[in-house]
Amino acid sequence: MSTVRIPAPTGESAPGLSEPAPAALPAKTSPGQRSGARLVRPRSRRDNIHGWAFSAPFLAFFLIFLVWPMISGAYMSLTGKSLTGANSGFIGLANYAEAFGDSDMWRSLGNTLYFTLISTVPLVVIALALAALVNMGLPAQWLWRLSFFSPFLLASTVISLFFAWMYNPELGLFNDVLVKLGIPPVAWLNDPAVAMWAVVIATVWWTVGFNFLLYLAALQNIPQQHYEAASIDGAGGWRQFFSISLPQLGPTTVMIAILQILASLKVFDQIYQMTEGGPGGTTRSIVQYIFEAGFTGYRLGYSAAISYIFFGLILLIALVQVFITRKRSV
Amino acid sequence: MKQQDSGSTNLNRRQLLLGGGALFGGLALGAGLTGCGGPAQAAAGDIRFWHLLSGGDGIKMQAMIDRANAEEAAFKVKPTVLAWGAPYYTKLAMASAGGRPPEVAVMHAARVPGYAPGGLLDAWDLNLLAEFGVRPEDFSPRIWEKSQFNGQVYSLALDSHPFVMLYNTEVAGKAGVLGTDGRLMDISSPDQFLEVSRELQRVTGKHGLSYGYLGDGAQMWRLFYTLYRQHGADFVLDPGKPAQVERDVAIDCLEFITSLLDNTIATKSGDGGTAVAEFASQGSGILFTGVWELPTMKTAGVPLGAATIPTLFGTPAAFADSHSFVLPHQARADEAKRRGVYRFVASMLKGSLSWAEAGHIPAFQPVVRSSEYAALKPQADYAHAADIINYDPEAWFTGSGSDFQSYFAENVQNVFLGRDKATAGWDAFISRINTVLAMPNPV
Repeated sequence: MSTVRIPAPTGESAPGLSEPAPAALPAKTSPGQRSGARLVRPRSRRDNIHGWAFSAPFLAFFLIFLVWPMISGAYMSLTGKSLTGANSGFIGLANYAEAFGDSDMWRSLGNTLYFTLISTVPLVVIALALAALVNMGLPAQWLWRLSFFSPFLLASTVISLFFAWMYNPELGLFNDVLVKLGIPPVAWLNDPAVAMWAVVIATVWWTVGFNFLLYLAALQNIPQQHYEAASIDGAGGWRQFFSISLPQLGPTTVMIAILQILASLKVFDQIYQMTEGGPGGTTRSIVQYIFEAGFTGYRLGYSAAISYIFFGLILLIALVQVFITRKRSV
Repeated sequence: MKQQDSGSTNLNRRQLLLGGGALFGGLALGAGLTGCGGPAQAAAGDIRFWHLLSGGDGIKMQAMIDRANAEEAAFKVKPTVLAWGAPYYTKLAMASAGGRPPEVAVMHAARVPGYAPGGLLDAWDLNLLAEFGVRPEDFSPRIWEKSQFNGQVYSLALDSHPFVMLYNTEVAGKAGVLGTDGRLMDISSPDQFLEVSRELQRVTGKHGLSYGYLGDGAQMWRLFYTLYRQHGADFVLDPGKPAQVERDVAIDCLEFITSLLDNTIATKSGDGGTAVAEFASQGSGILFTGVWELPTMKTAGVPLGAATIPTLFGTPAAFADSHSFVLPHQARADEAKRRGVYRFVASMLKGSLSWAEAGHIPAFQPVVRSSEYAALKPQADYAHAADIINYDPEAWFTGSGSDFQSYFAENVQNVFLGRDKATAGWDAFISRINTVLAMPNPV
C-alpha cells in the first residue's frame, strides 16, 4: 500500500505555499526596497523581525540549555574530563569502548528496560480500567477522579518516603497485612526478586492518575449515539466496551503508551530514594548509573558517553514507534 | 525524621525576583553572568558555610554558629545545610571546581583524599591557626594524622564519631551481665558476645541486639571494618594495584556478623529506623550505632550505658570518621574573610563541649580534658575511642557516604541476609574495588 497524496483543490492551496495576489503588492512594498529585487511578501521582513523577537527568549534558552549542552556533552564523551576539573584531554572513542564492555552499564540498562516493561503495562491497563469504571456513571465522579489523580501531584520524595515506610520489613503496613493473613512477610525493598516490583507498585500508585485522566477524557469524547445504537442492536456492556470504546481509544492508547515508555525509561527519583539501586544493584537504573559515573565517580567524560548510548537507545525506540504508528495510520 | 535547619540560607521573594531579573537581563544583553552572583551571593560581611548536619546535630550546630556570630562583629557566618552523602559531596566538588565555593565547609575527614589532590581544597595555615589559639598538639594523634595530606593540613576535625555500642542498663542488669561498676561486663570473645546477647534476648523477649543495616552500606561497613581491624588486619588501597586485604579475616568477620543476624539475637530484616525504634522501645539490650544516636536514646528515656564495641578479636579498634572543617578552593580568596573563617573555626573548636552533647567526641583536646566533659555521661565512657579509631582505607573513592560503601552494600547485603556465601560476597566486592583501582584516578 502506498500513500496517495491528494492534490489540493485549486484556489485553496495551503497558506504560505503560493504567492498572494500581486495586486496587493505595490502599495505595501517598503520604501527602502531595491528596485528589481525579487518580489517580497508585504511586511515579511518586519514579520520576520517580530517573529524572531518573540521566539528569541525561547530560542536563547533552547540554544543555551539544550543545544549547547548536547554539543558539549558529545564532545565531553570523547574526553577523559573529570568533575574535579582535571581534563585528561581527547581520548577518542575510548569511553564508548569501555562502556560497551562494562557489565554494570548493561545491567543498569537491562534493569531500566525491565522496569519500563513491567511498569508500562499496568500503567496503561489499570488507567484504562479505572477510567472505564468511572465512566460507567458511578455516583460522586469528582471523588473518584480526585482520588485516582491526586497521588500524581505528590513529589517523588514524598511517595518514596510513604512507600519506604509501608515496605519496612518490621514495622511496615504491607507486612502487617500479610502476617495477619497468614502469609510470611516479604523483604520488599531488600529481596532482589521483589525490589523492582515494589518500586513498580509505588510508581503505578503514584502516576496512574495521569493516564487515567487522559483515558477518561477520551472516553467521554466518544459520541453517546454509538452506544445507543449498539444497545438497540442488543449489544451488552462488555460487547460495547470491546467493540466501541476500545477501538475508539486506539490513538489515545498509542499516545499514552509512548508517553509512558519515555517516562519509564527516565526512571530515577523513586528508585534512588527507596533502594539506591539495591539490593545488589538489581534496581539500579541507567540514569542512576550515569549519575554515579559522573558525579560520585567524578568521570564526566565516561558518564557523557553512557548518556549518549542511552540517547541512541531512546532514539531507536522512538523511531520504532514512529514506524509502527505510521503503519497504523496508513 | 530529619529536619532542616531554620537558619539556612533561604531565598525571600524579593531576592528571587531580583535574581530572576538579573538572569533575564543577562540573557537579553547576551552578556555572561560572570561576576553577578545573583541571590546566592552573600553580603560582603558574610562567610558562607556549607554543612551536612541535620536533625539534632543540625540544631546543635546552629546554636554553635549563633554563638560564634555573637562573638564576632566583622563577619556573620551564614550556613547552608545540604543532605549528607552523595548530594553534598558532588555539590561541594562542583562548587570548588567552579572556583566560587563557600568560604568554609564541613567534610568527613575520610573524604578529603578525594578532594585535596585535585586542588579542590586549600591547606590550612598553621601559623594563622596558632594566632587564634589552635595548635597541632590540641588534637589526639590519630585525628591530627588524618588531617594531613602530602605534608599539609587540609582538614581540621571538630570531632570523631566512632561506631559504638549503646546498651540498656536495666535490661543488662536483669540479664546479669552488668559488672560491679554498673557497666556492661567485659566481653572479649565472639562466643561470649553471642552468649551475652542471648541473655539479653531472654529478658526483652524480642531481640538481644539491634543492628540496622538493610539498604545502608555505611552501617554494614562500619561494623565490618570495626571487627576487621580488631584482627589487626590491614586494608590498603593503592590506585593501579589490586586491593591488599586479608581475605580469611574478612570472611571470618562477615560470617560472625551473619551469625548475629539469626532473628533471635538480632533481626535479619533490620534497617536503621527499625533498629533505633526497637532499642528505644526497650525491645533489645544493645544497639550498634554511631554516637550521634545518643541524644535520641536519652530523649526516649532509655536507661543508657555506652561503650566502644567490645574487643572480640584481640586488637581494640573502632570505625570512625570526623566532621572536619575544610577550605574549599577559592579562585580569588578574600584575605579578610579568610581570617574571619580562622576565627570562626577556632571558636567552634573551643566551644565543642556543646557538640559533645550530641554524642560526638570533640577533637579539640582541651575540651576533652575539661571537668565539664568528664561529667558528661555516658559520653565520657567512650572518650577513649579516639585513641582506637580507624578511618576508611585511604583512596579517592572511599569515606563516609562514598561509592566504596555502596559497593560494599551491593555485595555484602545478601551475605548478611543469608542468601549468599561470605566468600562469594567478599570476592565480588573486592573484584569491584579492583576495577575502580585499575581505572585512571580522576582526582
